[in-house]
Amino acid sequence: MTSTDVLDVRAKAQRDKRRRRIASIVYIAIGITLFFVAWVLLSLEASPWHYDIPPPFGAVGPFQDILQGVWGLFREEGAIAHFWSNLGTSQDMRIKFVHACPDLHPANVNNPFRQVASSLMGWKYTSDTAALTGGPLPVPIGQLPDYCYGYGIHLVVTIIRILLGAAFGTIAGLAIGLSSLVFPKVAQVFTPIASFFGTAPIFIAAPFFVIWFGVEVPIMTTIGLVTFYTTLLMYFFSRRAAENIPVGIVESALTLGGTPRSIFRWVYLPGTVPEIAGGFRIALAGAWGLGVLVEVLGIQVGGGHLIDIWRFLIGQLQAPSALVALITFYGVLAVVVDALLLVIIRYLTRWSEAGRRLGL
Amino acid sequence: MSRVVSFEGLWCVFEHRSGQLVNALHDVNFEVQPGEFVCVVGRSGHGKTTLLRVLAGLQPPTAGQIRLGEEVVEGPGADRAMVFQQDTVFPWLHVRDNVEFGLRALKVDDEERKSTTAHWLDAVGLTDFADSWPRELSGGMRKRVALAAAMAVGSDVILMDEPFGSLDYFTRRNLHDVLLDLWEETQKTIFFVTHDIEEALILADRVILLAEGKLVDDIPVDLPRPRDEDVRASAGAVDITKTILAHLGITEEEATQV
Ligand SMILES: Nc1ncnc2c1ncn2[C@@H]1O[C@H](COP(=O)(O)OP(=O)(O)OP(=O)(O)O)[C@@H](O)[C@H]1O
Ligand SMILES: [Mg+2]
Repeated sequence: MTSTDVLDVRAKAQRDKRRRRIASIVYIAIGITLFFVAWVLLSLEASPWHYDIPPPFGAVGPFQDILQGVWGLFREEGAIAHFWSNLGTSQDMRIKFVHACPDLHPANVNNPFRQVASSLMGWKYTSDTAALTGGPLPVPIGQLPDYCYGYGIHLVVTIIRILLGAAFGTIAGLAIGLSSLVFPKVAQVFTPIASFFGTAPIFIAAPFFVIWFGVEVPIMTTIGLVTFYTTLLMYFFSRRAAENIPVGIVESALTLGGTPRSIFRWVYLPGTVPEIAGGFRIALAGAWGLGVLVEVLGIQVGGGHLIDIWRFLIGQLQAPSALVALITFYGVLAVVVDALLLVIIRYLTRWSEAGRRLGL
Repeated sequence: MSRVVSFEGLWCVFEHRSGQLVNALHDVNFEVQPGEFVCVVGRSGHGKTTLLRVLAGLQPPTAGQIRLGEEVVEGPGADRAMVFQQDTVFPWLHVRDNVEFGLRALKVDDEERKSTTAHWLDAVGLTDFADSWPRELSGGMRKRVALAAAMAVGSDVILMDEPFGSLDYFTRRNLHDVLLDLWEETQKTIFFVTHDIEEALILADRVILLAEGKLVDDIPVDLPRPRDEDVRASAGAVDITKTILAHLGITEEEATQV
């Protein structure tokens, strides 16, 4: 074999790498297509969910020119155009927002049906407890500051909350998890707590956070819940990662004169990166869902609140499905953040088998 | 400042899950002079690894003690660096950082650390691979990394537990040469566990034979060095081999059957 052949081998490896990349893009495209096909099918007249699920592409009928429907997303009255033009405050949005939360309108306070509907949102609960305990009432939607009547602020606020919560939780989880390796007492105290809350699905804990912290302090509720959730996950991931480091390697470090400090720095820290990083991706993926979910439970500013409002608007106003745009926005955002993470993780784990397979 | 290593009434008893007690070490007494190359030989499960682990400070003895000079062994430390049978090179550190690990832990200053590391990488012939990841090396090269890391911390006693057991014949022979060169250069005391009699004959000044945890014989190997094929075929070498085989409970017929 000559060196030209060798270069050829290398070129082939590069072609393969490109092919794999293209394949993954194709898979994503197929996934998105299937998602919309399923949505269209569910919204058909023959579907039992016909009345609950609006068609994804505006008022376009089933299979009746889907392309036109996609185009509709971008047209002036389409969801994306609507979403885009209402990123900032607008009077139109203000009206819709107020209309979407009719339980806050004085005329509706005594309407039992409205109350049932709104208590499902958790909103009513907090205003009632606040009234009973003499605490502050949640701000009625009509009195929110002006900047709240657009999509932009809600999206930004949610992103900041989730990333902050995930960051706090990761730091706390790693600190507790890794220090529990050095101080067994920490593990004795924290493992039962973490196992207890870890087994109860975090979505069940969500309403409790809304009750404890209330909706008037959304910082505490959303960031708190996301922090709590990531702390739990990262605690387990960091402990498991450290336990997976072979005993022989730690013993070898000891006979080379390793001190607790140097073993932590040169063995545990780098050796646990792949598993911790993988855990962080899982935690963050969960945090997106959790953050938005807890906002749906009655927090006034944030993407989850938009979703909540849109549940009303879809039924009552035949508003363009900005919800589609919203969901897409969060989906794309989560994928982009995950891709960025992957780049960092690949760099940090370039020593591993995975690194070898990726040709780093 | 090399020190005598003394094993004094050393016992190590394990309780197996069945409740049965196993004397991994059974009243072991001997002394090793500074700079000696000692091979510990015995059948599988007869306490070789245990002896080394107690000496490394990774396993507390049930009774008795090991002393280095006046100092009693109480835990692991850089004065008894160990090369393990399994692959213990840190996969997440470059070859150079692997060799530097012990020096960093000992807080050796930067300049000295770099020159020491360069010296030992050169000694094991890995200078060109200093910036490689361990996964890019062969098994034999990774053993050299482990050897360089153990040498670099400057201990006067080096422990090796069947370090070359998983390597092919040629690589093993090559590493024997590397190890003997380093030993002659540094005059360190080396404890080398093996169940390969040929390996013991190539390396050792002295063979310690363990059977069921007891020290059953202590055989001086006063063959001339280098121990090439001729030396190992000499009458003296054959005698030693026979003695070892007899102690291990393998008669000559049994040996030929295997
Ligand atoms: N941690 C332990 N717990 C219980 N028993 C042990 C432990 N370590 C060793 N033993 C027992 O001690 C005895 C000696 O084991 P050791 O590992 O020292 O043998 P060895 O001579 O190194 O064998 P090999 O050549 O197979 O490596 C064995 O019977 C083993 O089962
Ligand atoms: Mg062994």
